[in-house]
Amino acid sequence: MPDMIVEATVNGRKIKKIAQTHQRLLDFVREELELTGTKDGCGAGECGACSMFVDGRLVKSCLVPVGKAQGSEVETIEGLGRTGELSVMQKAFHKAGASQCGYCIPGMVMAATAAIRVNPAVGDEEIKERLGGNICRCTGYQKIFDAVGLARDVMNGRLPATALDEDAAEGGRYIGANVRRLDAPSKVSGALKYAGDQVMPQMLHVQVLRSPHAHARIVSIDTSEAEAMEGVEAVVTSADVPGKDGFGVFVHDQPIMARGKVRYVGEAIAAVAAEDLLTAKRALQKIRIEWEQLAGLFDPDEAMQAGAPVVHDYAPDNLVKHIPIRKGDVERGFAEADLVIEERFETQQVEHAYLEPEAGIGYVDPDGVVTIVSPSQNITHHRHMLAEILAMPINKVRFVMSPVGGGFGGKEDMIYQGMLALLAIKSRRPVKLVFTREESIATTAKRHPSRTSYRMGLTNDGRIVASEIRVIYDGGAYGMSTEGVIRKGAILAAGPYAVPNVKIDTYGVYTNNTPSGAFRSFGSLQTQFATESMLDMAAENLGLDPFEIRRINAMQAGDLTHTKQELKSVSLLQCLDGAEKASGWETGAPTVRGATREDLDGEGCRKPCRLGARFHAEIPAPKLSEVA
Amino acid sequence: MLTCDDYLIPTSLDDALELMTRHSGRQRIVAGATDILPWAREGRAGDVHVEHLIDISKVAELNEVSFGKGRVRLGAATPFQRFLDRDDLVKALPNMRHCAIWFADDQIRECATVGGNLANASPAADGTPPFLALDAEIELARREDGRTVRRRMPLSQFITGPGGNQLVTDELIVAIECDALPDYGGSFEKVGHRRSLVIAVACVSALVSIDRSGRHFDDVRLAVGGVGPKALRLADVEALLRGAPIEAGVIDEASRLPLDLVQSRTRQAYRREVFRGFVSRALAGAARDAGAEIDAVEAELEVHHHA
Ligand SMILES: Cc1cc2nc3c(=O)[nH]c(=O)nc-3n(C[C@H](O)[C@H](O)[C@H](O)COP(=O)(O)OP(=O)(O)OC[C@H]3O[C@@H](n4cnc5c(N)ncnc54)[C@H](O)[C@@H]3O)c2cc1C
Ligand code: FES
Ligand code: FES
Repeated sequence: MPDMIVEATVNGRKIKKIAQTHQRLLDFVREELELTGTKDGCGAGECGACSMFVDGRLVKSCLVPVGKAQGSEVETIEGLGRTGELSVMQKAFHKAGASQCGYCIPGMVMAATAAIRVNPAVGDEEIKERLGGNICRCTGYQKIFDAVGLARDVMNGRLPATALDEDAAEGGRYIGANVRRLDAPSKVSGALKYAGDQVMPQMLHVQVLRSPHAHARIVSIDTSEAEAMEGVEAVVTSADVPGKDGFGVFVHDQPIMARGKVRYVGEAIAAVAAEDLLTAKRALQKIRIEWEQLAGLFDPDEAMQAGAPVVHDYAPDNLVKHIPIRKGDVERGFAEADLVIEERFETQQVEHAYLEPEAGIGYVDPDGVVTIVSPSQNITHHRHMLAEILAMPINKVRFVMSPVGGGFGGKEDMIYQGMLALLAIKSRRPVKLVFTREESIATTAKRHPSRTSYRMGLTNDGRIVASEIRVIYDGGAYGMSTEGVIRKGAILAAGPYAVPNVKIDTYGVYTNNTPSGAFRSFGSLQTQFATESMLDMAAENLGLDPFEIRRINAMQAGDLTHTKQELKSVSLLQCLDGAEKASGWETGAPTVRGATREDLDGEGCRKPCRLGARFHAEIPAPKLSEVA
Repeated sequence: MLTCDDYLIPTSLDDALELMTRHSGRQRIVAGATDILPWAREGRAGDVHVEHLIDISKVAELNEVSFGKGRVRLGAATPFQRFLDRDDLVKALPNMRHCAIWFADDQIRECATVGGNLANASPAADGTPPFLALDAEIELARREDGRTVRRRMPLSQFITGPGGNQLVTDELIVAIECDALPDYGGSFEKVGHRRSLVIAVACVSALVSIDRSGRHFDDVRLAVGGVGPKALRLADVEALLRGAPIEAGVIDEASRLPLDLVQSRTRQAYRREVFRGFVSRALAGAARDAGAEIDAVEAELEVHHHA
């Protein structure tokens, strides 16, 4: 591998190290210097997880070829608070609660530090502008902005240093008090090790061959040429699975790697473990596959029609699951209604976009225990499934949950841990796989796209008397969480409203689209969106205030849900009151509003996007030599 | 992933050109690397191997900025952030700081160079319209028989279409030379999906000088990008506005002139509406920047000015 000697100053220390010519400064710092506080979130300049200073200027190190660092001064998150104490900015992040999963936080702290260095009196708008290149998926930004403002005020002496200390819990009560998170120091300092940050002696690097086709039969796979390559230690396919190959949150319909055919673009077919990443990548190109194309199925309605292509043999009707709910008699309800509204709704696929792409390490420990370290949201279930897949007793399979750099449901599926296990067993060495952002987006589960047909009957005084709801969820190529998602979707479909007559049918279907899985709200977002939209239309039709129509129908304590769960307490009315007040809502039916509304564009409303706050600020000219 | 056998870092122009010629056909230029590294990823070019990567960002001449005879000469390796933090450039090129603030983010701008932006010749590049408005010329150089040969041409000729330019084999952009217009006001408007890190759907830049009364346009320069295969100066709008009163009716009329440029087949009505709105916003913004009293005009036009 071509290499070069890099001499630079890193966090105040002179270094001289061999780098590979293709490495980015990010790789060099993480791999050669083993400073893993700086993260890789996208590798394309879009997220800021990799922000660091080079010669006093903040840059995204994923876009800096290592050659550019020759002779320069580099400062990483590990360089802040070098005395072992957190820097003021890091303490402010700790105090303000500005870290959740923490994956974006080192980059965020660096961007915040840069903002203060360039302009010690940086204003609130300018803070937002200067942090514009750093994305956080978890915190919602407000706490991050609070932290930067706090650090600025402490540094300028406007607030005492004690402002960074933990607030005393009033009267010893912690509920409702501002408590600092225990794990925050490890996140603001970059010390926390996510799976991708961990290394083991003798570790191999894994790459995965993925399907370019949505639906195709694998006639043959030839891995011999890849296996013969120097530096390649193991290649696995579905043929290497010793036990019962199948995983999934409900139905175990997904093989570790494609078995016989592929069902979506991006599905794993083979995996290679090699001495280094480049060799593993090159080995993928040597794997030969003979394909036979099959008709693809991409439309969930079509999936339910007779004669549609079949995705899984065990489900000739392409149905993952159907959940029906019946209560009362909807036809009688519609007969009593003064108004019947019918509408169709569609929602789309959504990516979770956690900042940490999937990563994991697999190894066999000295006692023969197959061990997987990964940010899995479901390790116990994974452990049970993997034991069956490997045909090993459960006490010989171990899962370690590494810090999860954001999940939101997207890390519930065991889509890569099985490959790590097989490769560790076959190579007898620790193996590590880190997804690229593109790989993560292309291959992991998404929020279910949905199509809802809705019929709602109401009386003139605003009471819902019947709801008939039919939802088709596109489950994609594998079952994953679909069954649970559509069950939750059905249970919550008619909303938190006391409707006497209800008919609900939710269907999860197989297609050759990217699999759908768990995602915050677990299937109910799709139906809530439809129900709440129906209520707004009903309010418009009946001349009622949208808050009022919801109050009229709200379930109360003591009511039974549509699936007969007794509600002991219900806070819906308080919730509606709170939302009405906070939004400055003007009472009235939607129809009487329009151009005269004063609650739009008023106090508390977000103004159009602007940039250029710094043009008006008194910015002391940056003195880079001083802040370097 | 972009891989190479060696990564070369010449410090003089002659050395850089010599290396390019010596490794002709087996090399690629890297300046800020902000286009080339994302390009060599899955979904775009994928894994790319180049024998020799030649990093020109340390070449002295490409980093020089100089002023003379009403013109500014910017070395091709000048990063966009300098339009925000160098006082002399902020004064001389009044539209460039507005362009820069909407360009990527503070960190990308520390690396992204003007030469790379123009060489890439993307129809959506933010650098092209403001430089067209500044009557920019491009200076190019290559090695021929052991000598460095230079030539120059207007930017409007240099870019030939999406991704296309006049560079011949082993030729470099050395500098961009453009008007110094310290008495003008400038603006830049961008239509995109979010605030930072967004490639423009369309962008526009204006330069305006006003007469002594502050009530009339004196000179007006306007250029748009993203609406056709290449960025354009809007000569008819400029002609209509020169000497005209700074009034909402006048700006509104001017913003309707170039609507035929919007030829996209989808969402025509929407695109035309957006285009008209942001041309008038750019004109009003540049007039404000030049010192004109513009609050009433903007209110009448219903445009919100950006800071
Ligand atoms: C996250 C992100 C956001 C971005 N946002 C924007 C934006 O808002 N607006 C925008 O316009 N662009 C944007 N870009 C694109 C990019 O940053 C710019 O086009 C930048 O100016 C490219 O310059 P560079 O020096 O980084 O080019 P490089 O990647 O180094 O080079 C690009 C190409 O130009 C060639 N080249 C470079 N310099 C020369 C030269 N002197 N002579 C001849 N050829 C040369 C290279 O060989 C290469 O083919 C963005 C990029 C990223 C990653
Ligand atoms: S910006 Fe560098 S990893 Fe995302
Ligand atoms: S805390 Fe920012 S991405 Fe999770």
